[in-house]
Amino acid sequence: MLPPNPYDEGASQAPSTFPETAPVTEPLSEKKETGYPWLFFYAGTSWLKGLGLTLVVTGLGGISYVWYSEATHDTSPFSTPGLIYATLGTIFFVLAAVSYALRRRLRKRAVGQLHASLNWHVFFALMSLVMIFLHSFGNFEPISGTFALYGLIAMTISGFIGRLLDRVLPRLIAVEVQKVLTEQGDDRIANISQKLEAIVVHQTQKELHGFKVGKRDTEPTPVPAKRSSPNSMSFIGDMLHKPWDLAYISLEPTQQELDRQGTHYRFIPDKKSAFNRPEALLPGAEEQMSELQEMHTAMQREQFYRYIIRLWRVFHICLALVTIGLVTWHLIFATTILLRIYAH
Amino acid sequence: MLKQVMLHKTGMQVAQEVQACIGCNECLLACPALVEPITIDVLNHVTLGGAIPAAVARFARSCYQCGACVSPCPVGLHRDAMMMWLKVRLLQAEE
Repeated sequence: MLPPNPYDEGASQAPSTFPETAPVTEPLSEKKETGYPWLFFYAGTSWLKGLGLTLVVTGLGGISYVWYSEATHDTSPFSTPGLIYATLGTIFFVLAAVSYALRRRLRKRAVGQLHASLNWHVFFALMSLVMIFLHSFGNFEPISGTFALYGLIAMTISGFIGRLLDRVLPRLIAVEVQKVLTEQGDDRIANISQKLEAIVVHQTQKELHGFKVGKRDTEPTPVPAKRSSPNSMSFIGDMLHKPWDLAYISLEPTQQELDRQGTHYRFIPDKKSAFNRPEALLPGAEEQMSELQEMHTAMQREQFYRYIIRLWRVFHICLALVTIGLVTWHLIFATTILLRIYAH
Repeated sequence: MLKQVMLHKTGMQVAQEVQACIGCNECLLACPALVEPITIDVLNHVTLGGAIPAAVARFARSCYQCGACVSPCPVGLHRDAMMMWLKVRLLQAEE
């Protein structure tokens, strides 16, 4: 048995089990927040700290960049400020890549720590991008550093799009799930399938009954056999032994004759007939079928949205791996050049 | 063309999962969307029915169905499906 909900003032009125769902209301003690808006934002402590640090770091970086650019003409990535920017950018890049990945794998953590790590991951990535951008000093020649910068830009953009998708797609999934479930949380497809089955069974029984009744009503009176010929074997009936060659000749009316005399039971109605309407034979089935089709479409959409969420995460990780490779390549390239410069 | 697979859970299945929860809190520890300290008992109780507190509503909206909560569960429950049910309830409240 679950304990009473301390947040819920109306806990005694709330149902303890499904399927009944009580109306969603907020306790008086808390700020009223109902519904599920498309765009919502909750700034936690870690987010505010991260934003503050990012603003300070990028602000200082921007100010120093402007000051240095005006003070001197040596604005190359290998200048002292350029190398400082590069070092800071690399540190932030490593922090962004490692901190969240490690935190996820750590067994020892508290509630909310992972969210804080995710926020720091975003802000470190932003700071890294700004620092590397300042490090370039506007040099975008097709060399390893430029490719690494492009990789960083692509990865940051993919991260932002990913965060946006994380907000929008779960709501879209919820909308599709809402279509498939009843208010009590039951599977609507099962309900519709049962209704459809009931309609088919009912109509089939009705048709079978109608067919039997019709046949009985319209059953023609048997045509009396011609008994004109005294040599005919048929009027004697089964009382006499029939010769084998006449055993297959019967004077009973044939099926064709019966059909000709009786009323027709037609399964294919005329074009002008009211039965030609799709719902004529199974009234109500068309509606259920279209609802079933809607349910299937909703389930396919749900699957598609979930697929996009997963795919985008994989895409972001792949971009991150490519960027790590490009940054490593650039670091090796830059270290080789720097070693040569300092060796001479 | 995607195959039709039921990825969510019905209310009854969610209720069964909530009843099977042992309250170890592992799912909440593994969640990257959870900001405020919400206890598993409160979350389970709210998932079953009744009023949704603001903190839980914020958590339900923030959940982005990453599935990070599923693998740490020692009894193999699907907290993401339970959160989806909460999202649906929030949507129902909106209408």
